[in-house]
Amino acid sequence: MTALRSRSARRRAGRWLGGGVLAIAGGAAALAAGTDAQRQKAAVCESCHGIEGRSTVPDTPSLAGQPKQFITTQLVMFREGNRKSAIMGPIAAPLSNAEISELGSYFSVQPAEPAGKPLAADAAAATRGLADKLGCVTCHGAELKGQQHIPRLAGQQADYLRTQLLGFKAGTRFDMDGNMTAAAQALTPAAIDALASYLSSLR
Amino acid sequence: MTQSTRRCSSNHRVGKTAALCAGLWLAASAGAQAPASAPAPSWQQGRSGDQNSSTLHPIAPILTGRPASELPIDKLKVPAGFKVEVYADGIPEARSLALGDKGTVFVSNRNLKDVYAIVDKDGKRTVTKVLKGLNSPNGVAFNKGTLYVAERHRITAYDGIEDRLDNPPEAKVVIDNLDPSNQAGHFWKFLALGPDGKLYFNVGAPGNIVMPNYQQATINRVDPKTGVMETYAHGVRNSVGFDWDPRSKELWFTNHARDWVSDEMPHDTLHRAAKKGMHFGYPYCHQGDFLDPEYGKGRACSEFDAPAAKLGAHIAPLGMRFYSGSMFPAEYRNTMFIAMHGSWNRTTKQGYNVMRASVDGNGKVDLKPFLDGFLTDEKADPPMWGRPVDVLVMRDGALLVSDDYNGIVYRISYRR
Repeated sequence: MTALRSRSARRRAGRWLGGGVLAIAGGAAALAAGTDAQRQKAAVCESCHGIEGRSTVPDTPSLAGQPKQFITTQLVMFREGNRKSAIMGPIAAPLSNAEISELGSYFSVQPAEPAGKPLAADAAAATRGLADKLGCVTCHGAELKGQQHIPRLAGQQADYLRTQLLGFKAGTRFDMDGNMTAAAQALTPAAIDALASYLSSLR
Repeated sequence: MTQSTRRCSSNHRVGKTAALCAGLWLAASAGAQAPASAPAPSWQQGRSGDQNSSTLHPIAPILTGRPASELPIDKLKVPAGFKVEVYADGIPEARSLALGDKGTVFVSNRNLKDVYAIVDKDGKRTVTKVLKGLNSPNGVAFNKGTLYVAERHRITAYDGIEDRLDNPPEAKVVIDNLDPSNQAGHFWKFLALGPDGKLYFNVGAPGNIVMPNYQQATINRVDPKTGVMETYAHGVRNSVGFDWDPRSKELWFTNHARDWVSDEMPHDTLHRAAKKGMHFGYPYCHQGDFLDPEYGKGRACSEFDAPAAKLGAHIAPLGMRFYSGSMFPAEYRNTMFIAMHGSWNRTTKQGYNVMRASVDGNGKVDLKPFLDGFLTDEKADPPMWGRPVDVLVMRDGALLVSDDYNGIVYRISYRR
């Protein structure tokens, strides 16, 4: 429900944003989303994060289909040094707010694809039960596609998810409001593995 | 631990085994609490069992800011005769406002680390980042050439900054160690200059509903000459807006009541602190007449100083100033503008506007909307496209309003 509301909110926002780009994402047409200028700027990102932000590198996250505000928040936090990364820190350092906003617009409208393989139905159901029990859906949305500043988990690289969850559990991963650090404390390594595989398989 | 649970701790990463192991994990840890080393985030603290699956959440600002050209500015509404326009954009997470002697408008932020300056010169308005690398610099105040900034942990002074915005002076520390416990919630500070020449600031409660320590849930003042601090008001959960009545010189302030009771309770409040040493109830009593379900046991609201007005549940009153200008109609003079940042802990959202509060001879407070139009759908998430934070009366009598969601400052003027 939250995710649906969020999508409709984004569509409404798209009208103000002069966002032909967002309108395309809402439709079925498989036209390339984003402007040429955005595409040029995004080329540097795509060298690691994959074409249109669909990563094929296990510990590098997919950006395709992430909420725009999630992408821009993380880039600002990398730039400001709140979220530490030897790779992303220097890359984000010279970016202006306008450039970050453009990159967010571009990747948010690219179609996402699951990075992981489908799970057997019973395994998927069991882990979905775990995700529900843990409350992942209350923030990340019923379909785990993220909203506002909260990331899409569906289809993300499993290794990346695992690294983030372990980082949250250890208290070493930047966390703007403490939500994930708290949520990750109760997770065992086995639960983290199960969640990562499950989330990665989602469309 | 059972043998099968132990087996699951080996490296089963994919598919059925991992999922079944997760199931076992769930069974083994049902009802287990997270370790004390990572408590629930402060905004979730105090939820009761059936609220744990709530989708209500604080609304995060857009940290890049948004250009005004992308926003429905024409949807903003002000009373007849007034006009609202964009004063400046490109100030991500614009929070508190302070006016320099030479007309510079200083703008703070909370999740970022900067202070911006808006300068009007030769008919051209420019926005520059003047201070960087600060720690939640939410509070700004100006007095006699000096900009004061309240960070999470200290208050600093920048002498003569308006003459050297390109090359600001080094920070001089007024007072340090304001956050010795690195508190999880309400660590950002509002700052204002009192009629006594002292700097007033809040130290919020460290969580939603917790017993504060002796320094928390207070409004304090520090003498910038000596660095001597004293607590002025107690029992204030979090106030990030205050001002003094120009006539009586009494302190008035806004306050946020606790979350996770219900959509309608308790109300956020407006207070008058006529003297030092008053106690406004937190954590025992909220809105002057509602005993806290937990901390209120064995207490009475009559022990505490009541608010001047209830403003609405979760409506989040932030910046508050008396109107001291002469541009607006006479009835506006000495009434208060209050920026309502807007509710998040409520299924039907309210606020996201600027209200005007006037007080009659009996102390009764009347509230009228002044700037509206940010709220688009009270049931949506997010429900709005902008959020007022602070208000500032300019020397020409116009009112500035900051919006941290978009990083914009608006100007409201009046022509008869």
